[in-house]
Amino acid sequence: MNENNPVPPLIPPADRTTPPFVPPSATPPLPGNRPLGEDPSDQVAIPHTFAAIEALLRHPRRLMFQLRQPGGGKLIAGMLFVALVCAAVYGVIVGTFSNGTQLWAAPVKIAAGLFISATICLPSLYIFTCLSGSQARLAEVCGLLAGLLMLMTILLVGFAPVAWIFSQSTSSIGWMGFLHLMFWFVATIFGVRFMKNGFAHTNAKSHAGLNVWIIIFLLVAVQMTTALRPILGKSDTFFPAEKQFFVGHWLESLKLPDGEIGARARN
Amino acid sequence: MSTPTNRLKLSEISVLLRGESQAIAEWSGCWNARRFALHIGVIILGAGLYGAAMGWWRAPQQGLYVAIKFPLIILLTTFGNALINGMLAPLLGLNIPFRQSFLVIVMSHAITAAILGAFSPLILFLIWNAPPMAAGAAGAPAYSLILLVQVAVIALAGITGNLRLLQLLTTIGGSPAVARRVMFAWLWGNLFLGSQLSWILRPFIGSPDLPVEFYRQNALHGNFYEAVFHAIQKFF
Repeated sequence: MNENNPVPPLIPPADRTTPPFVPPSATPPLPGNRPLGEDPSDQVAIPHTFAAIEALLRHPRRLMFQLRQPGGGKLIAGMLFVALVCAAVYGVIVGTFSNGTQLWAAPVKIAAGLFISATICLPSLYIFTCLSGSQARLAEVCGLLAGLLMLMTILLVGFAPVAWIFSQSTSSIGWMGFLHLMFWFVATIFGVRFMKNGFAHTNAKSHAGLNVWIIIFLLVAVQMTTALRPILGKSDTFFPAEKQFFVGHWLESLKLPDGEIGARARN
Repeated sequence: MSTPTNRLKLSEISVLLRGESQAIAEWSGCWNARRFALHIGVIILGAGLYGAAMGWWRAPQQGLYVAIKFPLIILLTTFGNALINGMLAPLLGLNIPFRQSFLVIVMSHAITAAILGAFSPLILFLIWNAPPMAAGAAGAPAYSLILLVQVAVIALAGITGNLRLLQLLTTIGGSPAVARRVMFAWLWGNLFLGSQLSWILRPFIGSPDLPVEFYRQNALHGNFYEAVFHAIQKFF
């Protein structure tokens, strides 16, 4: 029954005196079905970084289209800058769990870890996209990766108030680690979805290569959290003294008794 | 001018409760400070009255505390999740501005609070008829009955508020599937944060064995989910 009178989104109030109730399609067309730029709204320029954030959230096709245009490098740089700032902001929230030096160490480690992970994975991403038959240029691949990072980090900033509430009310590193990983995982799902939608417009014959790359990226990113530990707890050294894989480190963290966890986190 | 405005205010509450999605969708599309204040007022009053009734059984002072804490939890949850909720809506297919997503959530909470407020005299009556909360009452049938009634009323108000939210999102977006996705994402986030805030700001009903206080001395020790986990562990 509601299909008869839905209010179309993003219509200025002034235009609503006689609401033009044009029902949006119940199932939007799959991304990639319509070529980028076919819709005039795709071609609207992105003049500044805030517009890029807006476009990424509300009209990702516009961002994908602009990444293919001359001057896409500037847009990519802006997106990476936003990702850097947002990662640092979330890092400060992560640092509030232990306070002290972690207030600056956690943002540095999170931002650096994210960018190092992306840099390490960029060559394999390009290779996998080529193997998939995609026509995407390296700049476009960089742009989609920058979109993934930006979307992930702005979502993490969205989660930041919730993370802060929890960081002030628990002393369990295991719990906080799980919470941050969960937020990161949710943010990554949306980021990866953006990237997949972007590659759907590059004539790729298969998503298999991209799926493999996503697994690689996830593994690299979680290993980075172990390589740069401690991010949540405190330590005498900036980098860890011994090398470990993330599974071993997580299991070790879970085995720590509450008192020790609390002492490590709060001293 | 003032009389029509007042009449409009009253009618707006009933429009919200009736779930007249068309009108509510139009309200959500434009900012109106007076309407926003009205909805916040309904949350404070409705949830506050219910909170007062809830805490009254332990002591009048506990009633006062819960009258402050209950609306505070709803408002803190709404503001705490505003950013992520505003981002999730377009990402899940409902392309509405941040402000609109915020207003829509405030309205659904206003509906919930209005229902809670309407039930507050009934809760007060129930408590008036219950034996005084005495030491060891936590296991008594009266305590269990009051606890269950509270859960039932809060569940009823919460479900109604969310059903109205679903109708509203369907009207705004046009797609029931998208509306469901967005509503469940918001619901998940609100439950997640709301549970923790409730944990921090406990007690609500209160315990005869513990003093009346705004929040427990160990409010910030541990979290809701750790407590649930430890409770489950006790079974094994």
